Amino acid sequence: MRGLMTKALATAALLALTMGAQAKETVVWWDFLGGGDGVRMKQLLEKFNKENPDIEIQATTLEWGVPFYTKVQTSAAVGEGPDVMTYHLSRLPLGVSTGTLREITPDELKAAGIDAKNFTPANWEAAQVDGKQYAVPFDIHSVVLYYNKDLLNKSGLLGDDGLPKGLDGVENFNAALKKLKADGVEVPLSTHTAAGDSQWRIFYSLLGQQDVPFLKDGKVLDGGDEQKAVDTLKEMASWVADGYTPANVEYPASIALFTSGKAAMHINGVWEVPTFTDLAKDGKLGFEWGAVRIPVLYNHPATWADSHSFAVPNNKGKEISPEKLKAVLTVIDWMNKNSLFWATAGHLPAYLPARDSEEFKTMQPNATYAVLADTAVFDPSSTIAGVASPIYEGMQNYFVPAVNGQLDPEEAVKSLKDELQGLIE
Amino acid sequence: MDRKQNLTALLFTGPFIVAYLVIFIYPTIQLVHLSFTDAPLIGPGAWIGFKNYIRLWNDGQMWKSTFNTFYFVLLTVIPTTIIGLALALMVNRLSGWFQSIILACFFLPYILPVSVVILIWQWVLDTQFGIAQPIISYFTGKPVAVFRDRYWAMPMVAFITIWWTNGFNLLLFIAGLRNISQDYYDAAALDGAGRFKQFVYITLPLIWPVTALVLTIQLILQLKIFDQVYLLTQGGPANATYVMVQYIYKQAFQLNKGGYAATVSLALFALIVVLSVLQYQVLRSRGQK
Repeated sequence: MRGLMTKALATAALLALTMGAQAKETVVWWDFLGGGDGVRMKQLLEKFNKENPDIEIQATTLEWGVPFYTKVQTSAAVGEGPDVMTYHLSRLPLGVSTGTLREITPDELKAAGIDAKNFTPANWEAAQVDGKQYAVPFDIHSVVLYYNKDLLNKSGLLGDDGLPKGLDGVENFNAALKKLKADGVEVPLSTHTAAGDSQWRIFYSLLGQQDVPFLKDGKVLDGGDEQKAVDTLKEMASWVADGYTPANVEYPASIALFTSGKAAMHINGVWEVPTFTDLAKDGKLGFEWGAVRIPVLYNHPATWADSHSFAVPNNKGKEISPEKLKAVLTVIDWMNKNSLFWATAGHLPAYLPARDSEEFKTMQPNATYAVLADTAVFDPSSTIAGVASPIYEGMQNYFVPAVNGQLDPEEAVKSLKDELQGLIE
Repeated sequence: MDRKQNLTALLFTGPFIVAYLVIFIYPTIQLVHLSFTDAPLIGPGAWIGFKNYIRLWNDGQMWKSTFNTFYFVLLTVIPTTIIGLALALMVNRLSGWFQSIILACFFLPYILPVSVVILIWQWVLDTQFGIAQPIISYFTGKPVAVFRDRYWAMPMVAFITIWWTNGFNLLLFIAGLRNISQDYYDAAALDGAGRFKQFVYITLPLIWPVTALVLTIQLILQLKIFDQVYLLTQGGPANATYVMVQYIYKQAFQLNKGGYAATVSLALFALIVVLSVLQYQVLRSRGQK
């Protein structure tokens, strides 16, 4: 009798448990979206939780870069990672090499209705290592040239179409900076001269415009490419040396220089579009602004780009259950299907139905710079590349002092090359 | 009787010995083992013999980090000891509640967490808004982004470290000074010794054991410099502040090389043991002279 009671109770408890699980699956979510785009993501998360009563996302935003990726790597290694997280595709080979990411099998993708056809092949394959899928792309993001229409207009650098003119080619670009300075603009060009990641984005774009591979066949800046890298770095350093760009400016300060109307131009990621959109909407900007693709300083258009994606950590000793994985993939699919809203955060949706939609094609300023996707150059596919990678660290350590006139560009490139080459071998 | 005593001794020291074995000796042995493998940050690796040690010997950034660590030690250990002693001599001449207040003022930075200390100094030395920049500008002619400058960075980290930790040294010296009997000074004064002579022939020899202690503690502490560098410069610019623990962090957490990180850790461990034993012996023999 007592045995029967226990059994009945146990069955009931088990039933209640499974039913509870079916009723509501929680998905622990980590992201690094602390910029202007983080506000948009919070709205998306709220919308998801409202529309999907059977899944609850518990989201946490952590600090972008090294803190985020260090935490992800160590927590996954001891089985304490989240269920799903945002991940830069540039860093995927590195993440896979440390065993941080769980493969998402073709069957699992198919069951969730996630189809490679809805992404550009290059973008989809960037989420693979050795043919295995480790992530689902969410957006493509890049750097753009933000400009102050009023200041450019005063110096005759604004065309009738409201777009900057006469900025292509190194000489023209420098002449424009000189003209702006001569016309009394305090800061012709604002960049985050104190931040290695920002300098990498500019440097890699300029390398791309000259078809110089940063990494080729396991060799970093091989042969004559080293000299071209030095020349490019010298060009970037000259903006600071000639007084066009202030030295040692931190990330927030470089934005403040632009929003306060002191800077005529500002190179930054598309993720700051919401910052300027919102300020302009509230009438707090005080000038007309725009954003265009980075000018062609060298041979042809090319812009650094990266991709935010969603990945599932390889939680050691705590394999994700099929039910949980299903919920996670539902979240990922939903996010992509709603990524038109994510585009208001400045990004280009990776999901083609959203990117090809009429609504996106008329969305400003995205529509103006969307062409950059055609000539985007992505970080080399390597374990030394990506956010919080040895390349990024080397940029901070060697290139930032070089840009600010503290270190000889030749020495900076050589030190970086030697260090990275040592890591590959 | 003896046996009972032994048992009591074992009972009292037992918990410590167990804890010592489990949380110090065992990990140390594991660390040595790890240094012979190619293990990642977490999990085991394959035995690779002395490869890590050969790499260590040929690793330019590792030598640079070692050099920087010594540079930092040079900038902090002796200055902080001298400043601590000088302040203690001054504070010691005060009395009553006034002395307590002054002592508290000097000790206050020491109780602050490192992150707070760093935030304070980042603002004080900020290129645009820092209240210390006019002083720097007075000498250099323009504001200096001290933590982004190859030549300023390390001395500034050292300066902040001294500001932060000096209170503790001061306290040790005060305790030492209070142990010196007033009789010595009275006798010396009767014999016509001035303040300077009293300091050289009475205070200095009698405070020497405390000085040796402070120097040794500081040496061990400063060889392990990490927090300030990690929070302020991450080893930059251009390796100017790369110190050994920062390098260990890079190998372990950024490059996922647990085995090699263990090798560098062991090198630092050996360095600290040798240097601190050597220094203490030298200082003690000087004190006995």
